[in-house]
Formats: sequence, C-alpha cells, structure tokens
Amino acid sequence: MELLIQQILNGIIVGSMYALIASGLSLIWGTMKMLNLAHGEFYMLGGFFMFFLNVSAGINPFVSGIISIAIVFIAAVIVQRVVIHYLMEKPGWTESHLIATFGISVLLQNLALNIWGERFKNIPYYVDANIYIFGIGLSAQRILIFMVAVLVIVLFWGFLKYSRFGQALRATSQDRDSATLYGINTKLIYMIAFGVSAILATVAAIMLAPIYSVNPWMGSDLLLKALAVVIIGGLGSLVGAIVGGIGLGILEGLGIIVFSSEWQNVIAFSLLILVLWIRPSGLFGTKEW
Amino acid sequence: MEKHKAWYKTNKLGYLIGALFLIIIPLFVQSYILHILILSLIFAILASSWNLIAGYSGIFSFGHQAFFGLGAYVSALMSMRLDISPWFGLIIAGLFASIAGAFISLPVLRLRIIPYIAILTLGFAEITKLIASNLVDLTRGELGLSGIPAFTSIGTISFNLANRINIYYLILIIFFITILVILRIVKGPQGLALKSIKESQDAAESLGVNLTKHKLYVFMVSAFIAGVAGSLFAHYVQVLTPSSAISIDIMMQVLLIVVIGGLGTIAGPVVGAFIVVIGLEYLRVLGDYRLVIYGLIIVLVIMFMPDGIVRKFSKIKFNRK
Repeated sequence: MELLIQQILNGIIVGSMYALIASGLSLIWGTMKMLNLAHGEFYMLGGFFMFFLNVSAGINPFVSGIISIAIVFIAAVIVQRVVIHYLMEKPGWTESHLIATFGISVLLQNLALNIWGERFKNIPYYVDANIYIFGIGLSAQRILIFMVAVLVIVLFWGFLKYSRFGQALRATSQDRDSATLYGINTKLIYMIAFGVSAILATVAAIMLAPIYSVNPWMGSDLLLKALAVVIIGGLGSLVGAIVGGIGLGILEGLGIIVFSSEWQNVIAFSLLILVLWIRPSGLFGTKEW
Repeated sequence: MEKHKAWYKTNKLGYLIGALFLIIIPLFVQSYILHILILSLIFAILASSWNLIAGYSGIFSFGHQAFFGLGAYVSALMSMRLDISPWFGLIIAGLFASIAGAFISLPVLRLRIIPYIAILTLGFAEITKLIASNLVDLTRGELGLSGIPAFTSIGTISFNLANRINIYYLILIIFFITILVILRIVKGPQGLALKSIKESQDAAESLGVNLTKHKLYVFMVSAFIAGVAGSLFAHYVQVLTPSSAISIDIMMQVLLIVVIGGLGTIAGPVVGAFIVVIGLEYLRVLGDYRLVIYGLIIVLVIMFMPDGIVRKFSKIKFNRK
C-alpha cells in the first residue's frame, strides 16, 4: 500500500514536468499550427547549460537556472527566425515544418554528442533533505519539482490570460490576418511564442536533470513522452497537457509495479495509439484532426 | 490524362538509360563500391515505398522504419530459428509488414491532420523497436542477431558475400519490380484517385472516391515493399540490431533521400538514395559530425530546394499544394 502511494506521488511529480514540456508543444501547435519535433532538443540544451553553469562553474542553482533559461530562449528565437519564419511563408507548410524541425533535432542532438561527449553527466540535488508526509518519505528535491511546476504553469497561464502579450498571442492564434489588421506584430509573436515554449522545456530539464541525467539523447526520449501527453490530453489545450502529463506520470509510476521499466514507453505509446484510434481530439482537444 | 502520358513518354528514354546504367555498372567496379551500390538499391526500394504513401497519397508517415525492421527481423528469425529458406522469408516478411501496415492504418485512415499521422506512426515504430529490443530471448535485444544466413543458392548461382555481384543483380531485379509496381499504381486510375485524395480529401470523397479503400491498399503495398527491403537488408548484411534496423535513423535516411531527390516523383527516391548512401560513405572522414551535416542538409534542402533535385533538373512543371 505504501509502495502504491509512493508510486502515485512520484508519478504526479514527474508527470507535472511532463505537463510543462507538453504545454510548450501545445502552445506552438495552438499559435503556429506546427508540431515542433525539435522541442526535445531545447530540453536537452537546457540540461547541458545547467550542468555547465551549476556543476562545472559552480554557480548556485537558481542563478544558473535563470541563465540557462535565457540562453535557450535566445537559441529558440534564433531557430524560429532563421528557419521556421521562412518556411511559414511558403506552400507545403504542413509537411515542411515536420521535416525541418526533425532536421534541427538531428543537428542539435549530434552537435551536442560531438561537442559534449556521450558520457552521462549528473547534477546534484538542489535541496538535500527528506520530508515525510503521512509517513511517506519523499526527497525535498521532488517536492521542489512539483512546486516549481505549479508555479510555472500558473505564471504561464496568467501570462497567456492577462498580459497584453498573451492576449495578442491568443488573438494571433485565433485569426492571424485579423490580428495583423489590429496592429499586432504577428512575426514577433511567433518568435516569442517559440521562445516561451523552449523556456518551458528548459525549466523541466533543470528540475529533472538531478533525478535523471544529462546526455545528448535525453531530449528525444522526453519528446516522445510529451507527444503522447499532448495527444492524450488534446493538442492545443493547456488543461489537456496538465491532465495528460500527470495522468501519464501516474500510469508510469503504477506500471513499474506490474511491468519492468523497459516496457514503460510501450505503455505510453500504446495509450497514444488507442487515444488516436478512439478519440483523436484527446480528452480536452477541439475537433480538428 | 493526355498531359500525363506525354510526360511519361518523354521520360521513357531517361528511365531506360538509368536502368541500363544500373545493369552494366557492377561490371566495372570493385567489391567495396559494389557494397555501397547494393546498400543504395536497398534504400532506393525503401525510400520509393515511403514516397508512395507520403509523396503520392499525402499520408505523411514517420514510422516507416517499423515495416523495414519488422521485415528484417521476421525474415532473419525465421531462417535462423525455423530453418525456413530466406526466399520464403522474403515474401513472408512482406506479408507480415503489410499486415502490420493494415493494422496501424486503421487509426491512421481516420486522421487528416498531417502531424497527427506523424505522431501516430512514430509511436507505432517506437513500440516495434522497444519490442524488438525487450524480447531478449527471441532477438537477443541490443546485442543483435548475427550469422543470419544468406540467400540460398539457385543452381550454381550463389548469394554469399563472396559473390556480391549476384546479390547486386538479385536486388536490382526486385528494385525494378518495385518501380514497375509503383508506376502501375501511380500512373493508373488508382494514381488519379490518390492524387485527388492528396489535393482535397473532401472533394475526392464527394466525387465518390473511396478514401478508405485506396488508402488502405496503398498503405499495405507500401508496407509490403518496405518489409521486402528489410528482408533483403537482413540477408545481405547478416547482422541486425534494433538500432540498425528499426531506429529513427532509418527514417531520417529515408526522409533525407526523398526530400533531396524529390517528394512525389518516381526517380526522386532513386537518385536521392544514391546521393545519400554514397555521400554517407564519403563523409566517413568526418566521423560523428556526419549526422550533424545530415541534419543541416535536411533543413537547407527543405528551405531552399523543397521540390528536390529531380524536379530541378527536369522541366516538369509541378504545382505544389
């Protein structure tokens, strides 16, 4: 019983990070109607910058985190401006963006492999303590992960809902032409939306890196999970990403009790196929498949 | 239709020269180059099969490596564990892959948004790969299968690695059959139906085109060919691991081949396959930076030459949607 609760709690905690990554994918889908197959690579870059700043340079985790976020944001904006921006204007956008972002993913992943090597790198826990809730022991690191996830999602939601920029972003995703007519600089919106989505991935990388490890392939594994999450929750829906992420986290946590860990992803992808078969819009998505 | 015919006729000469070239070239090269040519042909077959669904029918699958890998593993395991002749394995691999294709096409056929199709097929391919690497008792997992038997000899013609030239011609024949099958589908009435589906599903459906039937048919044919390509690969290189046969790297190569050559052309995947596989060999000096270059080339090609080399150098006017 204790194991069961422990696994559910762990599932919720890791799932909250899946939710962050998936919301980034969903944001891009909502605004630009594109699936960013290079999303996992921003996660990977975030992990590496965090490692270099926090472990190699010994800067405190909070400051390193902020700097990593800033670097990845700039990298993402550059990718958008240099590649995505031009493809959007051209015919064939529905396939070309998949090919292009897949290419970027291969490029960044192997660049990381060549520059930083294939050795797995570890980041120590940011907080070192154990907390007992109703007799169930949890490391403070995991509590911190969950708190950061909640904080970032609330900030993100508030940003979309109330800030002028968020309103402009939502207007652009509803109708690009009208938004332009109202004087919204849609090109800027796209760039920043792309950057914000990369920030969400970076935050997840920073928080999860001490639990998993930093390596060139960390992104592709998580991208696949995030894809499962957005499909289960419904592409383009923030609530869907949160519910889907935590749901998948719990499912994986419980799945580990029954199946061995190498079957974990088989469960996630089977669920993905099942959802696309029965209800392609996912739990909270709109009908647009 | 008239225009179509004229285009086909002017290209007949080109096809003929290309075919002749492929027939005589192995007589003049040494064993190592022959090896590269054989790999190019296998990838040309695989890429053509992907092009049939992605280029001609608009089903943008990201999981074609699943059919390739399934074909490779089924055929290899049958010949190793059950002593079934690789020649039967070739057919059974195709059938197996096309049954898997039929199964996965059930959800795929209901989807119209391309990214959904991409995610679904990617998920399917990942499952296939995980199964191959987790069923250690059957497949030896990441250690891989080795000592896969070569095609058994017919009379005095043997197909072991010492007689590469025979393997080359065997694969060349299968390659020609593949191209003929694809030409028949694409240039016949089925091709028109596919084209209409690609342009607009709703319009096609309202004109009485049976979407499900056509898509299912094409998907199964494409998976069959990919399975056969996998089987050829397995019995040629005689070593298989999940990451060499079912990983996303295979899909990356196919994508690169078809995008460079030209999506939705017959010659595109063939020209692309030779460029990419030969390029891969010559870029070996770059070591691991090779894949970085690959990624970069994918991005550059899709940005600056999205119609591919074949269209660039022929005078075909093609209206991209």
